[in-house]
Amino acid sequence: MSGSQEFSKAEKFWMSFKLYQLWRFIVLSIKVYIAAVQSKWK
Amino acid sequence: MAKVVVIGSGFAGQTAALYLGSKIGKKHEITVVSNRDVFGYVPSWVWVGMGHMKPEQTIFKLKPVYDRKNIRFVHAAVTEIHPDPGDQYIIETEIGSGQTVRLDYDYLIIASGPFLNYAGTPGLGPENGYTHSICTLPHAVKARDAYLALCERMRKGEKVKIVVGTGHPLATCQGAAFEYLVNIHKDLLKKGLRDKADLLWLSNEPELGDFGVNGVQIKRNGHILRSEEFIRSVFNDHGIRYQVQTGVTKVEEGKIYWQNYQGEEGVTEFDFAMLIPQFKGQPFKYIGKDGSDVSSKLVNPAGFVVVDAIYGLSYEELAQTPEAWPARYQNPNYPNIFAAGIAFAPPGPISKPFTNKNNLAITASPPRTGMVSGMIGRVVAMNVIDLIEKGSMTHEERMSEMVVACIASMGDSLWDGNAVTIVMRPVVPNRKKYHNEYGRDLFISHLEMGLAGAWMKFMLHHTFIWKFKGLPGWTLIPE
Repeated sequence: MSGSQEFSKAEKFWMSFKLYQLWRFIVLSIKVYIAAVQSKWK
Repeated sequence: MAKVVVIGSGFAGQTAALYLGSKIGKKHEITVVSNRDVFGYVPSWVWVGMGHMKPEQTIFKLKPVYDRKNIRFVHAAVTEIHPDPGDQYIIETEIGSGQTVRLDYDYLIIASGPFLNYAGTPGLGPENGYTHSICTLPHAVKARDAYLALCERMRKGEKVKIVVGTGHPLATCQGAAFEYLVNIHKDLLKKGLRDKADLLWLSNEPELGDFGVNGVQIKRNGHILRSEEFIRSVFNDHGIRYQVQTGVTKVEEGKIYWQNYQGEEGVTEFDFAMLIPQFKGQPFKYIGKDGSDVSSKLVNPAGFVVVDAIYGLSYEELAQTPEAWPARYQNPNYPNIFAAGIAFAPPGPISKPFTNKNNLAITASPPRTGMVSGMIGRVVAMNVIDLIEKGSMTHEERMSEMVVACIASMGDSLWDGNAVTIVMRPVVPNRKKYHNEYGRDLFISHLEMGLAGAWMKFMLHHTFIWKFKGLPGWTLIPE
């Protein structure tokens, strides 16, 4: 997508490739949880 | 024994009530007053509005939760707030009996959510107008019925025009409208009807992907990726037309009237439209001891509660003053009154404001999403507990410091769904702390699209309903 106005075929492939998305789910869940917990103890 | 009253039971009110009830509910009197007797998980109404989720999956009864947490529940609509010291109480009308009741308080948390100002745009809204909304559950159900009826027309071969976006030049909540539009695209694709519909995004944002927060910016592979570029790619990819910098001024049957930044006036035809109205504060009466109107000490002209923010700065000054955003959400004139969630008055817009040559202000107002509202609800509750137990407050969090995560659904299927996952720090750009033109932490901020987001959205639906029910471990789930 860099600079272009549409997603490339490769980007679309990775967006729906389930094994890769499972990895992203784990990474994103951790990232979102850490981000949210940061504010919890203020 | 202190008396704490929470008005409202949305994300902010429910979070505040759960913390108050759990920590001091046995020693002090905690009361929630709400005109609804159910909690509604608003983010999933996007799916209710198109028939992908049953309404009852997004709600649960409040009273059983409050009974467990030592919270008293009053199912009533608040009409008056009497804030003067020595005689502080609210007047409410009980739903059902219609009885008017007085409720005294020592601390008051106003978390009453938005007043949906459909009347601000003639012809807008599902009750007295021609457009739909997903801002309340009954409205989402009505939108669903109209959308499904429209699908039937498409099945018979009719081509239709669908418009989704903002219905007032100062509206907010563009994110929910974006989700709804992209979910419609996915749904029509699955139904084999996509070629029968022309989809249009009509919004008051200064540019695509602004979402009322001046856009999202992240660093990827050494270059800056902006949400404008990202959302443009989504719309181009999905064949969705877009028109931003546009304020809707009037709606008639099948016609949306608007003005844009250039001052041009135009009409857009539609068969189905879901447009978010302007949000205002709830129209309570604020009455002093002598019977006078003291609303100017409590709320701004739009009805939002004035708190510990610095008001009156120009946009340019505000953009350089992150400390202008409130930290404790406490009213300066009545220190025992707090506001949480959409109820508090922001010091100004986050997105760049604009007034066209016809003197029409077209500006995306600052959103207070579920996560932001929940965090403010917690800060306010913890400070009230501090005041009761220690006499001074120890908690604060400004929107110019808050990290926020947002998952924008783009198809709810767990097999081939999609969603944009956004992490942003801070919500309001803080140029004193982050020395780049965006005022954001480009390392933490994140923007990603994929099936994983759809799984996360599904997971959040269930974990947050668990949390808001106050079930075991609820405090481990962050706001």
